[in-house]
Amino acid sequence: MSSVEPGEIRVFAQYDRDLTLEADVVVVGSGPTGAVVAKELTDAGKSVVLVEEGPPFVPAEYELDGGLSMARTMREGGLRTTSGTIMPTMQAIALGGGSLVNSAICNRAPAFVLDRWCTDFELERTTRADLDPHYEAVATFLGISVTPDNVLGRRNLLFRDGCNALGYQCESILRNVRGCRGSGECFTGCRSRAKQSMDISYIPAAIRGGARVLTSVRIERVLAEGWRATGVVGRVVKPFTGKPSHQVRVHAKVVVLAAGCAATPVLLQKSGNLANRSGQVGENLQFHPGVAIMGIFPDPVYPRFGATQGYQSRHFLRDGFKLETLWAPPAITAVRLPGSGMALKNRLADIPYSAIWDGIATCNRSLGRVRARRRSLDPILSWKLHPADVPVLAHALWVLAQIFFAAGARTIVPGVHGIAPELHSLKEAEVLRDRPLRTTDLVLAGNHVFCTTRMHGDPRLGVVNEMGRCHDFENLYIADTGIFPRSTSVNPMWTGMALAHRSAHHIAQQI
Amino acid sequence: MVTAVLWALALCYAVSRVAIGYPDPRRQYRGLGRGEVAFISSAGEAMYPAGGPIPSSGLDADLPGYLERLLAASHLQTRILLHLLFFLVEHGTLLFPTPGRGGMRRFSSQDVEHRVAALDGWAESTLFFRRVVFTSLRAVLTMGYFAHPPVVRRLGLAPLAIESPICEADLLYPRIGERPESIGKTAADLTAPSAGIPLPQDGPLEPGFAEPRP
Ligand SMILES: Cc1cc2nc3c(=O)[nH]c(=O)nc-3n(C[C@H](O)[C@H](O)[C@H](O)COP(=O)(O)OP(=O)(O)OC[C@H]3O[C@@H](n4cnc5c(N)ncnc54)[C@H](O)[C@@H]3O)c2cc1C
Ligand code: SF4
Repeated sequence: MSSVEPGEIRVFAQYDRDLTLEADVVVVGSGPTGAVVAKELTDAGKSVVLVEEGPPFVPAEYELDGGLSMARTMREGGLRTTSGTIMPTMQAIALGGGSLVNSAICNRAPAFVLDRWCTDFELERTTRADLDPHYEAVATFLGISVTPDNVLGRRNLLFRDGCNALGYQCESILRNVRGCRGSGECFTGCRSRAKQSMDISYIPAAIRGGARVLTSVRIERVLAEGWRATGVVGRVVKPFTGKPSHQVRVHAKVVVLAAGCAATPVLLQKSGNLANRSGQVGENLQFHPGVAIMGIFPDPVYPRFGATQGYQSRHFLRDGFKLETLWAPPAITAVRLPGSGMALKNRLADIPYSAIWDGIATCNRSLGRVRARRRSLDPILSWKLHPADVPVLAHALWVLAQIFFAAGARTIVPGVHGIAPELHSLKEAEVLRDRPLRTTDLVLAGNHVFCTTRMHGDPRLGVVNEMGRCHDFENLYIADTGIFPRSTSVNPMWTGMALAHRSAHHIAQQI
Repeated sequence: MVTAVLWALALCYAVSRVAIGYPDPRRQYRGLGRGEVAFISSAGEAMYPAGGPIPSSGLDADLPGYLERLLAASHLQTRILLHLLFFLVEHGTLLFPTPGRGGMRRFSSQDVEHRVAALDGWAESTLFFRRVVFTSLRAVLTMGYFAHPPVVRRLGLAPLAIESPICEADLLYPRIGERPESIGKTAADLTAPSAGIPLPQDGPLEPGFAEPRP
């Protein structure tokens, strides 16, 4: 079985020999950005090969246990961390990329953020007005809509009540979900097939249109001659072990890298430091570091029920952070609780009365870099939280504490080193406002990653132009969130997809 | 000569500390050494003692069994890190002795009060590194504890049974490791997509989490 027919998807068990394919466009990575490019180019009549290292997951494969699920769906088993400032960060390895495990939150980048992108990075066509048609196209296809009230559940509604009591702007979150049932298990895969992750939305549409999809294939190198990319080469890899076998080569007129912000720079570096005349490949690594507080209420919250992340406040965007509700599999939620022994057990018993809300911060000063590990495509992510960003996160914690007490919480668990494990009143919580914190006092997590192949109008200062084309190449594009020149200040997926939509339409015109 | 004898003694001590005197586990655990099984069980018991608001203890939850599954599902790098974590806390009492007599004995050989004190030492250390080690250990033990159905049932957090609608993607993707021929579904099997009906909270639990029938 050596050829792959248009509209065919290949899975691990089917590879029995080396494979060489030709296409107009090869797309590496099937996350939100790669999936959009593949579908849009297929719709435009181009022959497309979409290559993904991970396998497709069907509901029978979803592991409801948080730890086991991470071990199967996340790179490095979900235990990947940054060095420098140690912070866990997750990147998925699955058909659909991060969309399989994410909470489907969709936010457009605010106009003021995009305006600054344009002025600071010499961009001419990336204002909100420029991107709105692309946001719209994605929204229409995915059915992006407001989370309905009847599936919010108490842990989302309490956040609304707290914000309303304090006069903070808040809203039910827009998500790429159709028919949510409020199971709160977006992280382990939506068993209701309501979340429109790429594997059930854009990718089937691309296949229907004739795209060829190769799963369990890890691209190891981009092939190039002079200023033209000619294709990619990689190997079939066994799901979960990554053991390599047959070689896969795809020759194409256009190569699009959408392997994710942590993987694309490594791929370029391993391909002979491609597209790096600017020296910016792998630089400028940015996250939205997040902090969270658990609040315990006097009455049961029944946290099992409700959209995973159903409510948010963008009130403090200009102060550098955004607030949202959060839920994760119980085991992951419990990991946050402090202490050990009977004290820990007593706290676990409070989970049915609890809600968790988090703050994610823009942190434009906190930068890092991605480097290739030796003999591996796994990245080394070095990153440091800038001391000036610590007070921003502390501010987010203080505001969260206020919202909790305004919503009627009896206790909060701030999870900050050096501060009492439980605070029982707003007065006690003032310590979050008054005590100067150090980076190592905070328990951080950062799953929004960007900027490692940033766009810039000046080829000396960025890797790609506004259409995602590498300045150094005629036909090599990058579509993943690495091309953001700076943080979006809000959840990045929709912006990544809007930019990918724009790139795809530009590429279609070029070939 | 004296140095050689000292080295030999140190080596004998190291070997006996790491390899000798561990009890036989109740069953064989693939991927875990005897010492690791003893460590995980004893750490689980200290982290989640019997009694209190959730009747199950860390011992009831068969944490070595969970970690065996987690290790099997993990990549080599993660496996190495987890083994290192167990080793570090088990023998970390040499560097950071538990207060009281016998504080330098390996973690799993200490009584439960001393083990709790040893864990507190890691948790409340001024060294960031020690706190990270503690948090990592607590994370894997907690995940194992929560994989024990009576724990999540007790907290009202056990997942509800959900019948997944059959969508276009289900006609395209087989289960991992299988070939497309195994899908066994056609367009005729497609079902209506989710209508967005909130999950009834008193509905049946997912089979693996339901109370066993007497
Ligand atoms: C737990 C979690 C929750 C999140 N929640 C939200 C949210 O609610 N809203 C939001 O906006 N954002 C959220 N995010 C972030 C969001 O998911 C990502 O920003 C988004 O997935 C990025 O899309 P991408 O296409 O750039 O990369 P990815 O989604 O990372 O996709 C890249 C794909 O490329 C594949 N790949 C990598 N290397 C290779 C290779 N060498 N060969 C072949 N394939 C390769 C990967 O396996 C992966 O499937 C969340 C992230 C996580 C982890
Ligand atoms: S909350 Fe549940 S039903 Fe709703 S999208 Fe997430 S996993 Fe699906």
